[in-house]
Order: sequence, then structure tokens, then C-alpha cells
Amino acid sequence: MCDLFAISANRDYSAPKSLPIFAEQAGKNLDGWGIGYFRNHHAYVEKSAKGIFKAGRLHDSFQRLARVVKSKIIICHVRLRTSGLIDECHAHPFVLEFGGYEWIFAHNGKAPVIESYKSSGIPMKEALSDSARTFEFLRDQLIQHFKQSSDAAGMFEALSRCISDMIEQYPGKYNFFLSNGQFLYAFTNHRQFMLLKGSKKLEGALLITTIEKGLSDEKWLRIAKSTSRRGMLLAISGTDIIVRQPL
Amino acid sequence: MCDIFAISAGYNYTPQKYLPIFAEKGRHNMNGWGIGFFREDQAFVEKSDEQVFSDQQVHESFQRLARVIDSRIIISHVNCPQSGSLHLSHRHPLMLSFMDHTWLFAQVGNVDGIENYETVQEPRLEISVYTARIFEYLRDHLIIAHERNPYISMFAALRLSIQSLLSNYPGNLAFFLVNESVLFAFFNFRSFSILKKSEKMGDVLLITSIGEGLSQNNWQTITPEEPSKGKLLVIAGPDVLYAADI
Repeated sequence: MCDLFAISANRDYSAPKSLPIFAEQAGKNLDGWGIGYFRNHHAYVEKSAKGIFKAGRLHDSFQRLARVVKSKIIICHVRLRTSGLIDECHAHPFVLEFGGYEWIFAHNGKAPVIESYKSSGIPMKEALSDSARTFEFLRDQLIQHFKQSSDAAGMFEALSRCISDMIEQYPGKYNFFLSNGQFLYAFTNHRQFMLLKGSKKLEGALLITTIEKGLSDEKWLRIAKSTSRRGMLLAISGTDIIVRQPL
Repeated sequence: MCDIFAISAGYNYTPQKYLPIFAEKGRHNMNGWGIGFFREDQAFVEKSDEQVFSDQQVHESFQRLARVIDSRIIISHVNCPQSGSLHLSHRHPLMLSFMDHTWLFAQVGNVDGIENYETVQEPRLEISVYTARIFEYLRDHLIIAHERNPYISMFAALRLSIQSLLSNYPGNLAFFLVNESVLFAFFNFRSFSILKKSEKMGDVLLITSIGEGLSQNNWQTITPEEPSKGKLLVIAGPDVLYAADI
């Protein structure tokens, strides 16, 4: 299973402590890694198809990037392939531009049914995986929202509806981060998210990961969907959870 | 009746077009004005006890500020004669720092008996105007909600705070509560007008208590309807993130 980690702060932040710890904790994921971040409203991704942790050592580039990348939102993914090839194109995060934003997307889960999805927009031809199709599905649906909705319609509600439709049409295990640089959206319908803010040992921003025990021995909060619901969606800005709602 | 207006953009926006229109539309408010904005995440307020519009002219300082301010979130308030004190320090927006943010608050309407509220937190707003007590009440209850549950969502915490406020101090209330990233807009009376507009640098979202909006564009009107106790919107950049009844 892949793993996800994100940091969200009120100002540009680096994660030289938590990124390497995340990499080490997720070291069993051998099939690539990626770091996504924002600079001047533009989304950037650095990724690799190589293992993040090899022979007891963290990948050299990852280590350097952990010290240098600086952004209000940083999204990191380490991959254990369940769909698609092992190459850089299939490593996450992915970037797509729509609705006036550049979006970063990283996914952890398994949804083979969605691999058959044919996008009504420009497809990400280079990536043949459930994650790429999931991102395209969300992109296509959100574009419809931007076209059709009134100025007062909420983006959170729109995303919530898109995800519900996706789960209905393409059932599967979804767990992802999606960000337009303003908000970090986190969704899960399987596994947990572990949250920590105000860490004394790591960075003081809001930290969120799929790693079950968190990244330190501090008091991480476990968030997961309740058994009666279809999933849990969060919108995070800076160190604040702005909206948290079950689907 | 006082009026409020806010602009939210995904980039630093200069409100030279819409702030003067707001001033003109709010010309019947003769008792002063205020503008709140952010620069490098620090909050700033400029206010005056002079009329925002007189002799067919928008107040000179108001006009100049509209040309100079650049901020992702800008809020403005014009005072009506009924709003009580004439003292400059009583003008909105008001400012308080709590929960790792500096917050600005501007409000219209009135709630019964709130002037008797005594805050349990520091700092206190040392002005005897009911808007300050409303702001302190919301601040106090946001802090309490986060002390009980540090991971409560801001929306849920503010909804609880507003419910508590209106339960203890019923009345008509509309306000903007903003930090450097997010704008919360609440109203349980009057209609609010909202417009997403494309500008050279990107989209902006405009929201005001002025019923017909500020231009000929197709402003959308939102009116709280029974049995809702009010409408709370979360706005960031040029988008409404979330809107729900209280």
C-alpha cells in the first residue's frame, strides 16, 4: 500500500524533519516517490521511480528536497505499485490545471474499476493507472461544477458530490490529497489519516499522514470514516481544519 | 442601516474599482467608515469618523486607500447614525489576535443585551460598543470550542459560537470575520449579494449587504429563510468553499 504525507502551514514552510521520517516509516514502498508544492500560485512536482529508502539510506534527492522545498502546502507520496507501470510518469503527485487553479493530487488506494474511465477532457495519456483516472474524473466533474454552479455554490460541497458519484460509479478504496494551493483537501474511505498540529518534535504546522502511528510519539489524532458512512472529507487551510464532513 | 462589503481574491487585489462604488451606494451612512486588509499576513485597519460620501464625492482618503491597498482579503464597513457612538475607535473593522491569527470583524444589525457581556479572555476591547462585545463573545467561544477539541473544524466551532450567541442574545446580525486566509460571512437578516468576477489578474469574489449589489452584473442574492437561524459562508480566494444554514 502506498503512503501519503502532507504539511499545511500559514506561511511557507519546509519539512526537513518530518519528510525524512515519513520516508523512513514508508520505506517498504519501493516503487517511487514524489513531492508536490506551490510557488507563486504555481504547482510543482519532483518525483522519481526509484525506491525512497535503499540499503538503509534515504534517496539522496529526496533528502535534499526535504531541506529545500518551501511552501504553505507540501504533499508527499511514496508508491507501492498496485496499478500502472513503475516509472516516473506513474509516480505521484500529479498536476492538472483547471477551474483557474493548478491542482496537485496524490492517491493511495486501490480502485481497478476506475481504470476504464474515459475522460471528457484532455487525458493524462502518459499515466495508465487508477490514480490518474481518479484525478481525471474529479477534474472533469469539478469543471462541470465551475461551469454550471452559481457564485454562492460551495467548492467543498461540489467536491463532496464528485467523490460520492465516483464511489457510486467506480467503487473502490480511495484515499487522497488534492490541493489548489488555497486548501488541502483530504479524503478517505479506507485506512486512516493521522493528524498533528503544534508538534514540539517535528514542524509546528499541521501534519497529516496515512502512517498508522503518525511520525512521532506525540498525540496524533486518528481520523477515519465511520462504518455507516461512505467516507470522510476535510478542507484544511494553514493549520486549521476549516470543514470536516462525512459523506 | 450600516453596510458591509468584502473582497476575496487568490492574489493581492487592489480594490480601486469596487470600494468607491460601495462608498457611493452606502452614502446614506453618514457616520464614518473603515477598511480592513492584510499585508504579509499582518492585519491593518484604516478608519475615519467622517462621511464616506459627501458633496457628490467619495471621501478623499477612502478613494486613495482604494487605489493603494493590495490584499487577498479586504473588508469595509460604513456606519449609520443609529449605530451609536461617534467615536473613531468605535468604527469597524475591529481587530483581535487569537488562535494563531489576527482577525478582523465588521458587523451590521443588533443583538439584545450583548452590551452586558463580559469577556473571560484577554485582550479585552476597551471600547463600550456592542460590536466589540459580539466580537469578544465569538472569540471566547471559538477558543473554548478549540480547547475542548483542538481538531474541531473552524466552521463547526464558529457555528456553535453563533448558535450560542443568538440563543443568549437574540437579534439581527450580519458580520464578516476574517483572517489572512479565510473570510467567514454570517447573516440572519437582510439579503447579501455575491458576485464572482474575472479581473486581469484572475477571479475575485465580492460580497456585500447592499441588496442590489454594486454593479449591473448578475449579482446573486442570498436570503436566510425560516426555519434557518442564519446562513454561514466560508470564502477563500475567489470561491465559496462552504455554505450552510446555522
